[in-house]
Amino acid sequence: MSARRVAVTGLGVVSALGNNLEEFYRSLAGARSGVAALPEEVTLGSGVQVGALVNWDPAARFKGPEAGSLDRVSQFALTAAGEALASSGLVAKAEPERVGVYWGTGMGGAHTLDGAYKSVYGKNDFRLRPLSVVMAMNNAAGSNVAVKWGLRGPFANFSTACSSSAMAIGEAMHAIRSGRADAMVAGGSEALLTPGMLAAWQALRTLSPMDANDPAASCKPFDRRRGGLVLGEGSAALVLEDESHARARGARILAFITGYGNTCDATHMSKPDRDGQVRAMVQALNESGLAPGAIGYINAHGTATIVGDVVECEAIKTVFGDAAMRIPVSSTKSMHGHLLGGAGAIEMSAALMPFAEGLIPPTANLQQPDPACAVRHVPQKAERGEIPRAVMSNSFAFGGSNVVLIAERA
Amino acid sequence: MDTLARIKNLAVKELSLDPGKIDSNAPLADLGVDSLTFIEFMFKVEDEFGVKVSDEDLRKIKCLADLERHVAASLQAAGKA
Repeated sequence: MSARRVAVTGLGVVSALGNNLEEFYRSLAGARSGVAALPEEVTLGSGVQVGALVNWDPAARFKGPEAGSLDRVSQFALTAAGEALASSGLVAKAEPERVGVYWGTGMGGAHTLDGAYKSVYGKNDFRLRPLSVVMAMNNAAGSNVAVKWGLRGPFANFSTACSSSAMAIGEAMHAIRSGRADAMVAGGSEALLTPGMLAAWQALRTLSPMDANDPAASCKPFDRRRGGLVLGEGSAALVLEDESHARARGARILAFITGYGNTCDATHMSKPDRDGQVRAMVQALNESGLAPGAIGYINAHGTATIVGDVVECEAIKTVFGDAAMRIPVSSTKSMHGHLLGGAGAIEMSAALMPFAEGLIPPTANLQQPDPACAVRHVPQKAERGEIPRAVMSNSFAFGGSNVVLIAERA
Repeated sequence: MDTLARIKNLAVKELSLDPGKIDSNAPLADLGVDSLTFIEFMFKVEDEFGVKVSDEDLRKIKCLADLERHVAASLQAAGKA
């Protein structure tokens, strides 16, 4: 592999914390949660009480019939990718054959599928829209991004549950390093807050009940009162670019992606495994060439499940040893919810906040740290400090997939 | 409103065509309507008129005027016109 360095030159976000990067960072800085009680039409009989819904008006963002021909997951993807590309200034200055799209999503067009099931099984009406297949298919979101901006380089869609978009970013970094592309749009999106999907998640008994006093505080990672994860939706996109390509066109470099770890537990479909997580973190560190002590912030997977948070903290302590008590660790899922296939990308965006703002995003709602999760927390409030040399973002998925990304400051 | 006018209205709404520039005899491809978009449009046409256009008939429709003739014939056959 050549020594090409991979820069981040653009970022875009759609989330319950706001539909652009600036609003997203402002919410993280203020520890503002986007979690709320779900409206009745979203949850129906599923029993799910809270979620992190995106405030979204398709008609305001897409012209005429376009809104109706794009699943919500693709609408999010196009919006986040649009912001990332606009902020990078890339499109007009790159050869389209040398720019690709690697995307991640867990469920793809869940709203389109839900609508189709409602029609077929609910109303015995088998006359489905002709666009159903191309709206629902898992690769639709990424393909819509490629089509919209004519990006004709490498394309892939990763669907590894909660590590999908982290994997898309890691693989995109490798695609640039290996010389297959000069730049990549890498990220992910998820939009599965439909009654059917919520019922399936509820059945898994892993969702947090609503905090009766403060629904926004329902997700409590690392807190002894935590009761499970809170589902969210949204998207994040990064423009990754070969450093020399970025410099030649005078692009602003936000960070470098320098480490990518990818392992499988191969032990259980849902139970997290410390060893698999440790190996992914070590792999990422080895690829970056950094000593563990160079990491100045870890954006944890931190779903707020009883078992998951403990295992991750143990894995962090195994990898970082004594430094684990110095390196700030937070879970921003406490605010934007769990974006599943979009989680890796939105959390990488959050992990880059210390580079942009000098602020470490907090774990909201962390008031009573669980002694079993003894790492150096960032409870309730963002912390201002020295800009770290490097940051890490963890994404651990059902199916045993572990992906870890490392970014270094520009 | 006659059938062709209704089809044109629907085309303006669903295909984002310029109402002043719709030539009902122009090949649909020349109006920028690709095959997938056309099939989705036909779904809306079927809803609008309450008719069913067979796959065989669908393949014969090359312009909006063809479409109007098929819809009109279907309406007549169904006793709706």
